[in-house]
Amino acid sequence: MKIEVKKNILARNDTAAAENRERLARQGVCMINLMASPGAGKTSVIMKVIENLPDRYAMAVIEGDIASEIDSLAIEALNIPALQINTGGSCHLTALMISSALDHLDLDSLDLVIVENVGNLVCPAEFDLGETGRVMIASITEGHDKPHKYPTIFREVDAILVNKTDLLPYCDFDMASFRQVVEELNPDGAVIELSCKDGCGTDDWCGWIETAINGSKTRLSS
Amino acid sequence: MHEYAITESIIEIVLSEAAQAGAGCVDEIRVVIGELSSFSDSSIEFYFEELSRGTTAEGARLVFEKIEASAECCACGYGFRPRSAFYACPECGSRLFELKQGQEMYVDSIEVK
Repeated sequence: MKIEVKKNILARNDTAAAENRERLARQGVCMINLMASPGAGKTSVIMKVIENLPDRYAMAVIEGDIASEIDSLAIEALNIPALQINTGGSCHLTALMISSALDHLDLDSLDLVIVENVGNLVCPAEFDLGETGRVMIASITEGHDKPHKYPTIFREVDAILVNKTDLLPYCDFDMASFRQVVEELNPDGAVIELSCKDGCGTDDWCGWIETAINGSKTRLSS
Repeated sequence: MHEYAITESIIEIVLSEAAQAGAGCVDEIRVVIGELSSFSDSSIEFYFEELSRGTTAEGARLVFEKIEASAECCACGYGFRPRSAFYACPECGSRLFELKQGQEMYVDSIEVK
């Protein structure tokens, strides 16, 4: 006997993502899904926000890693609420994981949640978490050809942080070529050059975050 | 690697449909995949064998149907088949296009008894 099913395989994730999005919107909380390769500087980029975001904003961090609590402990040491999700081998976070994590956060008192996704440029881009904005990091040491190799993620983010610019003198990274390709793939995406090491670009990055937070609040009050 | 989660979802959908129909065994599962969705058939098959063990879907044949991608250029309106997310319009060279089809991923039908 044949049964017609016609069911979207990602339906469960997409439903949970829509619920997360609605829940955050109700509270006017901005949630950023931060994606990058392992070692691109995700945790350092989050640290920059923690150090530089004006005190009037309250934030929390959800850390996604295959294993370990190294990142969440580092964030907690700065007195910022941090939840660690260990995916146990899975290469990306899902909306259901985020839903459980949000249960443990006091959304009433928060303005910003940054989700550090598992280090990977492929799988995280396929799973909607219910985030308000998507940000990726492309670091100088990875090379300027990455938009050619991973176009999907470059197309789908709202901002691209080009991290480790302090290493530009030592690497063959062609910024003009990188920017041109990103512009072709994602003309609306913001490209922010940043060095977590020397602090260059921190204002631009934190300014982008502040605009995103205020966007979530404006939507709430309108 | 993300096929693990995908395969879990496929099995969940199939088992729920089979249980609703009161079926004791699933013979075939037809899955439709758009050619631009980044999921690999062989990885899904690999995980399926493991994850379906001991369920009514164990031993079911997985049949994948690929859907060709189609897109419309945002600059000149030309309709074409993009072969990757990094594809340029063959008419005007713009890389901005709206995907009409090609990212689908659904369980189409199952054969049970």
